[in-house]
Amino acid sequence: MKSYFVTAARALAVTFSNVFRRPVTVEFPDVIRPRAERYRASFALLHEEDGDEACIGCLQCERICPSEVISIKAGGKRESPITGKKRGYADDFVLDLNACIYCELCVQVCPTDAIVMTREPELPAFGREDLVLTMAKLYANEKAKHRAWGDATRLNAMQTPPKPPKAAAPAGAPAAGAPTAAEASARAAAPVVASPLASGSSTTASGSSTPPVTAPAPVGTASPAASVPASASGQSASGETGATAPAASAAERGSTPPGSTGEGTP
Amino acid sequence: MTALRTVQITRRVDPHLSIDTYDPEGELMLLHFGPQHPSTHGVFRMDLYLDGERVVKVVPHVGYLHRAVEKLCETLAYVQITPIVDKNDYVAPMTNEQALNMAFEAALKLEVPRRARWMRTLFAELQRIASHLLWLGTFALDLGGALGGGSTVFLHCFRERELVLDLFEEVTGARFHYNTHTLGGNRHDLPGGWSAKVHAALDIIGPRIDEYEAMTLENRIFLDRTIGVGKLDADLALELGITGPVLRACGVDHDLRRDAPFHAYDEVKVNVVTAPGGDCLARAQVRLGELRESVRLVREMVDAVPEGSINSGKPVKLPVQTKIPPGQVYVAIETPRGELGTYLVSDGTQFPYRLKIRPPSLHALSALPYIIPGGTVSDAVAILGSVDPIMGEVDR
Amino acid sequence: MSEGLVHGAVYSVLIVTVVLTATAMALWFERKFAARLQTRLGPTMVGPSGLLQPVADLLKLLQKEDIVPEKADAAIFNLVPPLAALAALGAAAVVPFSPTVVASDLDVGVLYILAIGAVTVLPIFGAGWSSNNKLALLGGMRAVAQSISYEVPLLLSAMVPIILSGSMRFGAIVQEQADHHWFVVWPFFIGIPAFGIFLLAMLAEANRIPFDIPEAESELVAGVTTEYTGMKFALFYMAEYIHTIVASAVGAALFLGGWDGPFWPGLHWMVLKTLLLFTAVYWIRWSLLRFRSDQLMGLCWKYLVPASVLLVGASAAWVVSR
Repeated sequence: MKSYFVTAARALAVTFSNVFRRPVTVEFPDVIRPRAERYRASFALLHEEDGDEACIGCLQCERICPSEVISIKAGGKRESPITGKKRGYADDFVLDLNACIYCELCVQVCPTDAIVMTREPELPAFGREDLVLTMAKLYANEKAKHRAWGDATRLNAMQTPPKPPKAAAPAGAPAAGAPTAAEASARAAAPVVASPLASGSSTTASGSSTPPVTAPAPVGTASPAASVPASASGQSASGETGATAPAASAAERGSTPPGSTGEGTP
Repeated sequence: MTALRTVQITRRVDPHLSIDTYDPEGELMLLHFGPQHPSTHGVFRMDLYLDGERVVKVVPHVGYLHRAVEKLCETLAYVQITPIVDKNDYVAPMTNEQALNMAFEAALKLEVPRRARWMRTLFAELQRIASHLLWLGTFALDLGGALGGGSTVFLHCFRERELVLDLFEEVTGARFHYNTHTLGGNRHDLPGGWSAKVHAALDIIGPRIDEYEAMTLENRIFLDRTIGVGKLDADLALELGITGPVLRACGVDHDLRRDAPFHAYDEVKVNVVTAPGGDCLARAQVRLGELRESVRLVREMVDAVPEGSINSGKPVKLPVQTKIPPGQVYVAIETPRGELGTYLVSDGTQFPYRLKIRPPSLHALSALPYIIPGGTVSDAVAILGSVDPIMGEVDR
Repeated sequence: MSEGLVHGAVYSVLIVTVVLTATAMALWFERKFAARLQTRLGPTMVGPSGLLQPVADLLKLLQKEDIVPEKADAAIFNLVPPLAALAALGAAAVVPFSPTVVASDLDVGVLYILAIGAVTVLPIFGAGWSSNNKLALLGGMRAVAQSISYEVPLLLSAMVPIILSGSMRFGAIVQEQADHHWFVVWPFFIGIPAFGIFLLAMLAEANRIPFDIPEAESELVAGVTTEYTGMKFALFYMAEYIHTIVASAVGAALFLGGWDGPFWPGLHWMVLKTLLLFTAVYWIRWSLLRFRSDQLMGLCWKYLVPASVLLVGASAAWVVSR
């Protein structure tokens, strides 16, 4: 009988001690919990730096989607109004967010980094039709929403094993010679000392975030040189406020709006 | 109304006997427990035949959440299967992904880099923490009620679980269904400063486990509700193919992490927790012990993740479709619920010929007709909670 | 005679109004207190700090559709909810809130309380039976067994202040405590155990955790109130709160000295003590798990009843020896 009272008293004490803890409630919608940098919510279609649409209508994302939510009308090869070269276009692009499972596979396979995910904190809508993202909405999201960290180049670079170091490092690309070292030290989150590529911006190793010397960037939004894993540069901004992210890398990437790590409202 | 009649319940009730054997005059009350019920874990129905408050026979019905996942996977390429099976065991999704991708890699004889193996193990242990926290919360809800002490434990556990989910959000970008494992390794690498966050989260969770024990394992009311309730024999458990905490609570020392190590488990030492009772209390003890053990393992592993790449090959894209040569493979891992097995029959195309998933909860549920009869309705609820079924993986 | 009637009528209306308002406040208080125990905030949006939340709850329940199941026993089904609320309110008639504020200071006040407490079993059983629902039936059966069992320790532990003060009239009991000591203070070796047993029995009568097996939500959906919607459900819900408040007031009057206080005795002390007991009830509710019904019965008959019999004997011996 005594054990009832003793253990009950203990349980009461435990519960009462919680009264003095700060409540963990986040008072939505006055306060919005910041989302991680890689948080994936909605989608955006991007333009390239020169203003041309990045999507070339290759239908990779449509084919890889496990839920088959993407419908693209490929537009065939046309002359680009900006560069004048012939390239593919997508005439219509519809992504049904009602059925999307947010697996990020479409982002991973895009050859031109055209489709990316955005990290808005919530996706409210008044009706199901509002959640069907038309092409106009997707291109509008490019400016309207905060972009998530992941795009195709970054994801692919993060997953691709680095090439083994070449015997003679070419002059203009020291990056190719020391990717593993930079990457390894980047991941170890230790201050990068030996690598010439270290920007040494902060506690999280930024590794090779600022090499301007390597091959031309594929689409302009990714860090240069596919051989240098872009993961290192990506890591520099994760978990930090935008203010400390090196301005050079931010400008290079162009995807993370400066000074934003969590304010979710567009 | 006839006089009170005691129905002989033999210790090993044969649930295959029909109700007419027990009750030829139809005097027992049939109570449908579910599928809509606050405490069946997911959509699950139990037919309870009651004599007053004593349960005489239990007929469980599953299949309310069947989504034809295995058939669907026969039409999906291997890289597309991962986000779909995330939804099986929706409480510990990474373990599903891990099991499937291990099977694919075994069939392809693909070597997963050491870093990816460590990361997968690390994530699996973090998932174990999250899953057991959720189990503890819902078990307390079953015992204590949504308006009462149970909900207090529930909210405390979820408060800690949020910390773990935040960690996953940092790495993968999703809190729940991650799609972070892929053929040959992982898709997302650990961001900088992540291990510091893990330590911060575990510094909070570690001491709170003592609080949970004070409110449950050491609480006299909890002990009254769980001691001797739903006693499961070890040989019955082995016969039914039960694995995981339910088996270890019967005293059987079997854990795939130690006995058939996969991924990084051959490099770390896992202390397997067992308990001799076989009843609900033993299951609770095993799970709380595993929770502590996982916290210790994560602390040990998170700083020692080796360097390297996280994938053995370039990411799989659809034009370069992975074709698995014809053959069959069975790979099993230890999830928070037991042995999750994947049996893959491939025929050389980019789609599986047959993908069968062996869910541990299904076997655990098959013990219910043996262990619930003889107790009361309250005991039925407690037993169901302690067995921790997740209907997503039971029904697939 | 008629003056007593007028006095009783006026004070009855007053007390009923106050108790109902207190119920509304109790709703708010419970939700905030429970939230704090769970490190969250509770209602914050409706009114300043959520104070109008009970109003919102009431309005919501009022506008719900009133459903009577087809095969339910409609007469009993409809009769029972107001009866539950009334029975709970009725006990407030004899509690002295202050030396002057008491609706009807019966000579058999405590007996009346226990009789009314017995009446509260009927609505629960009626609801369980008439709902034509197996879960409700199970809840009703358990409630009957629990309530009538726990009346015994309730009665026996309430005998202790009767014996110690020599009267069943509430006014006399409180006066005795005001003149000498509160019964939990002296003789504390009788008063404190008796108070503890009274508290447990009161929890069981009010179907509060750890004794809330009749409305065990995780097992029986909503127990006896499964089939009730709208205002009828609101009446059951309110009946629970009223029962808790009134029982806290009764406990404060019987054991904690009622309106008596170290200085300036009056209504405020009664309110304070009622609040104290009330908080204790909710603190227990939100921290502990529930007993199974056979364990509940075992606790009552094997522990509480013998203990309270001993306490009755001890208090009689005490009075004789004084």
